[in-house]
Order: sequence, then structure tokens, then C-alpha cells
Amino acid sequence: MSVRHAILGLLAQHPRHGYELRAAFSAVIGGDDNWDVKPAQIYSTLNRLEEAGLVQQQPAEQNGSPDKRVYDLTDAGRQTLREWFALGITPEHQRDEFFVKLMTALVSGAADPGRIIQIQRSLLYQKLHAATTLRESYNPRAEIAQILLLDKSIMHIEADLRWLDITEMRLEEIKRQPIPRPEIRPRGRPRKTVEG
Amino acid sequence: MSLIQTHSLTKTYGSGESAVTALDNIHLHVNAGEFVAIMGPSGCGKSTLLHLIGGLDKPSSGQVIFDSVPLTERNDDDLTALRRRKMGFVFQFFNLIPVLSAIENAALPLTLDGGKPTQAREKAVEWLTRFGLGDRLASRPDQLSGGQQQRVAIARALVADPALILADEPTGNLDTRSGDEIASLLRSVSKDYGRTVLMVTHDPRIAAYADRIVFLKDGKMIDDTRLS
Repeated sequence: MSVRHAILGLLAQHPRHGYELRAAFSAVIGGDDNWDVKPAQIYSTLNRLEEAGLVQQQPAEQNGSPDKRVYDLTDAGRQTLREWFALGITPEHQRDEFFVKLMTALVSGAADPGRIIQIQRSLLYQKLHAATTLRESYNPRAEIAQILLLDKSIMHIEADLRWLDITEMRLEEIKRQPIPRPEIRPRGRPRKTVEG
Repeated sequence: MSLIQTHSLTKTYGSGESAVTALDNIHLHVNAGEFVAIMGPSGCGKSTLLHLIGGLDKPSSGQVIFDSVPLTERNDDDLTALRRRKMGFVFQFFNLIPVLSAIENAALPLTLDGGKPTQAREKAVEWLTRFGLGDRLASRPDQLSGGQQQRVAIARALVADPALILADEPTGNLDTRSGDEIASLLRSVSKDYGRTVLMVTHDPRIAAYADRIVFLKDGKMIDDTRLS
């Protein structure tokens, strides 16, 4: 996940200690409300990066504050960062909890899928309302990064709402289709001889 | 306190076998100062609902109660006066008069109602300035952007100091950015100026500016969601 890459990127700017890294990460992603990374995660990520040889601690006499561990990027760390920048990021849309809920409702008959869509729609509209309200509170002359991040989530919610409408319209069609059946394989090693 | 109530509001077009039900038994209460979006696919009856509430069309059965009085109990003159003084209308294509300036367009409801021209102009300037058009007062519609024209239209809707603003796809003819500005302006009309705003839209992003969304489908109210 990209917390480690963000740490590498922030260390590429200049050496920092853990507390400073957390604050810098929070500033870059537009505040803890967007992505609350706990100090413990920063420190454990730093430890793993150090073990992997991507960051190193500066010698105590160099860093001016001997009680704090100040980290710096290694050549290997620089290389990892370059690779991250060189590749695209695959968005995660296929592993979707709402879709799982909807399919579970359809398969089990334990809940009305139409109602599930309605509940989801209400929630999404509430989120959209909150996002547009928050967006208006930002100053476009100083906080454009926060506005752009909100725009991204606003557009995604809009897309989710459109998808809900389409799914709702085709619900009866889905119900008429056969439910996807699990493919059950025998446990253990497959038999060598084919029956029949 | 409800400014608008509809009771079993139904509208059918045609008769017999070919009758089409545009609105089916709608019960809706809207409080003073609320900002409500009406959503649904095209043909769901959302514009019909707006027209019935605005007294532009008559229901087949059921009724609309505005400010405690059923619209059916008012005669045509009464209804015209009500529409002119208590309601303001905003349309998709702005419906401004091309040969008139922003001030003259915005002042129109007061001038038509026999108000003093100087007072009408003062009121128009007041609203146009609030909506950031203080430097475009003398501009004709063709000299204004779509977003600016719609702001003139909203100033016109408010100039007679109505309690209710009815907006039918007010952002339908605008780009995303101007659409956001208009939706935000309508929110302020409700929040800062205490008017009730009923807005028909099919755009989720625009509807999300409202406090509440009413969903229609095939003439029926299928959901009513509070957003704040």
C-alpha cells in the first residue's frame, strides 16, 4: 500500500523523523479525516523499510537531535520510489462490499434487494451532500488539493448512484436469471481415473 | 409548519383505456424554509408535481394546500395573484426577455403587478447585487453567460418576496461548474433567506445540495430521504 511509498517520497524531499513524517503525510493527503494514519503504523512501516534496506537511520552525531531517530533514503529506496512513479495505479472496484451484500440478498432471499438498493442510495446521497457542503467550505485559492480530492470522491459517488439506478432497473431481469452456482470440487487429491 | 401539503394528489391525462396516470396519490409535506429536490427518471411525474404545486395545472383528484388554503378553493384571479406574489419560478432555459436588461428582467414580476417602477428597480438591483451581478445590471441576456442568466432568473423569482421558489431543471442547460454555482445559490436562498425551494432535477450532484430528496417513479413517491 502506498503509505510506504509516500514515506519514501517524503524522505526524498529531506530526512525526517517519524513524528514529522506522520504530520507531513497528513498534510499531503489533505488531513486526518481523509486518511488517518496512526503513529504506530508510521513507525512499523519505517522499521520494515529499514529492514528492507530502503531507508537508513542517520548517525546520531549528524542529526542534531540525538534523542530522535532521523531517517534518510538509501539508493535502493530511491530506486523503489522511481518504480512506483513509473507505474500506474490499478483502482480497486471489483471487490465491492455493497455488491456482495446485494448478491447475498438475491441468493439467500433473506432481504429484499430493492430495499437494499434504496438504503444504499439514501446513504450515497447523504455522503454526496456532505461532500458538496465540505467542498464549498474550502478556499479555492489556498486549498485546491483538498477540493480536487473531494471532486474525485464526488464523481465516484455520482457514478455509484448511476450504477444503482441501472441495477435497480434490471433487478427483475437478474431475478429471472439462474443464480450463479458454486463449483464444488472434491477435496484432496483429484482421482487419477475418470469415472464412466 | 408545512408551507405545502399535498393530499392524495393524482393527475391523469386522457380517459378510459388510454388514460395515463402522471401522478398517483402523492402525499407530501414541505416545511417553510426547506430545500427539497424532486428526482426520478423522465416521465416519472416530477414536472407534473411541480406544476400542480405551482397552480399551473389542476389535479384530477386530491389537492394541494398552500399556506393553509387549498388551491382548489381559489378562483383564477386569486391564483394568479398567489403565483405572482407568493411563488417564484425558475426554468431550465431561463426564460428571460431578450430585449430587456438584467434589471428590467428581474423587476418584471413587480412591474407587471402594478408596482412603482423605481421601487421595482431598487428591489431588482438588491437581489442582482446579492447574486454577484452588481456590475452587469444593464446587460441584456445575450451579453451574459448561462450561469449569469440563471442568476438573473433567480433574482426575478425572488423580487416579489415570495415564500416559495419552484425550479424546474434549473441547471439542465448549464455546464457542471455553473450548475454547481446555481445549486449552491438555491441552497443559500433557502438557508440565508429562509425561502422554501422545490427543485426538479435528474442530476444526482445537483440534488445533493438539497436538505431532502423525494424520489418519484411511474407517478408514485417511492422514497423520501433527508440529507442533513
